[in-house]
Amino acid sequence: MFKEFHHQVRGRGHEAEGTRGQDRTAYARRAGIQVLCLADGAGSATHSEFGAQSVVHDGCELLIDRFHDFANGDDALQARRDIVDHLQAGLAETADKFQCEIGDLASTFLAVAVSGDRFVIAHVGDGVVGFVKHGELRVASGPDNAEFANATTFITSSDTVASLRLFRGSLEGVSGFILMSDGASDSLYDQRSGRLAPACEKLIAITATAPTRHSKNPEYKRRLKRIVNTQIRAATKDDCSIGIFGRLIS
Amino acid sequence: MSLKIAADDLIENPTPRVPVSLCIDTSGSMMGDKIRELVEGVNLFYDAIDADDDAHDAAEISIIEFNSGTSLIQDYASIERLQRIDKIDPTGATFLGEGVNLALDTLEARKSVYSGSGVLYYQPWLVLMTDGQPNGDNRELERAVERVTELVNVKKLTVFPIGIGADADMSVLARFSPNRPPLRLRGLNFKEFFEWLSKSVSRVSRSTPGDTVKLDLEGLAGWAEL
Repeated sequence: MFKEFHHQVRGRGHEAEGTRGQDRTAYARRAGIQVLCLADGAGSATHSEFGAQSVVHDGCELLIDRFHDFANGDDALQARRDIVDHLQAGLAETADKFQCEIGDLASTFLAVAVSGDRFVIAHVGDGVVGFVKHGELRVASGPDNAEFANATTFITSSDTVASLRLFRGSLEGVSGFILMSDGASDSLYDQRSGRLAPACEKLIAITATAPTRHSKNPEYKRRLKRIVNTQIRAATKDDCSIGIFGRLIS
Repeated sequence: MSLKIAADDLIENPTPRVPVSLCIDTSGSMMGDKIRELVEGVNLFYDAIDADDDAHDAAEISIIEFNSGTSLIQDYASIERLQRIDKIDPTGATFLGEGVNLALDTLEARKSVYSGSGVLYYQPWLVLMTDGQPNGDNRELERAVERVTELVNVKKLTVFPIGIGADADMSVLARFSPNRPPLRLRGLNFKEFFEWLSKSVSRVSRSTPGDTVKLDLEGLAGWAEL
């Protein structure tokens, strides 16, 4: 069982321009499966915040419905196709609703799902997925920036199935996961060494060890939001979002 | 567990760079007002980059000159390390192809430095300025055209060929720019051009993944003729 935290904040760049933030996060839990999703809408896509909302919602739904297939199945290519098809179908509906093209909804996609002793990670585009195993902070999936700083792959790209990175494994020794958009990764991921910042381990530990209260907005979440809204946001002009799973110590 | 995140728990990554190569004709025909206005324009460009919060840390500029030979006046450097130019003495012929090849070689070397040190960068820019016709080795010219157009076609380089004055060979400049016609500077409006260039560099340095950086082509109207 994992405790969760997820939060997105509009970046200083969008605030100065008076435009909406384009990062979105979501969490869902059902049938013993927990899922965290994060999406970063593309800067030039006119409705990307709605695209990001669509993929985090549909991503949670799909990873709950199909978790056991993805965690235990043999056909990884089919699994990647199923994820992309499902998210793109949701985007097609969103495009109809907003009378726009599917490309106007472009976003990245990062997800982690856990259940029993298994986990599944899916990642398209930039941002980082990390985890702590046997007390060591590790990167599961790093940013896909191709050659240039302002280029990456999106769920709406033509080659998404090939570029979607899918990982699965045992939760033995795993004490938590962290997802972050590229804005948050400016201060939480060292692009020179490819390592996560020590803060990631602390954020996961805070999430795991905070007292459990009967509140949807407990003290630890409010404090974590303040860290994202101040320290992490101050390091970039981009929107910032993170999602954290911290494992309860049984 | 303490909820405090200290400064050394976080990472300070280097600012992604915008490499800008100025490849300029310093042949004898540039003597007089042309070279003086060009040098003044380059220094104004430096000042504008220096004053812009976004471009200041992102822009890295190099200057290559070509005449009867080529030389690297300034290797890629950030604004705080750039030497202001006092003057350039124009002389000799117009080895344009050789100059462009040196600019591309210098760019490739810089990209290797970025990659080796984990510094992200944006699509590089090449500004090519000449007032005449190339008269160096024709094979070098053809190689330069091929290299530039290949990079432009795969979106790995943005090129701005600029003709200075009535004698600039616009047909040769056009061969370097498959997607956009070359521009002829109206009069000696270097200042206006470099103001536009600094604003455009700033715009690129603010872009994030997925951004299509739209160049302010209307802004070109003040200093160039299409």
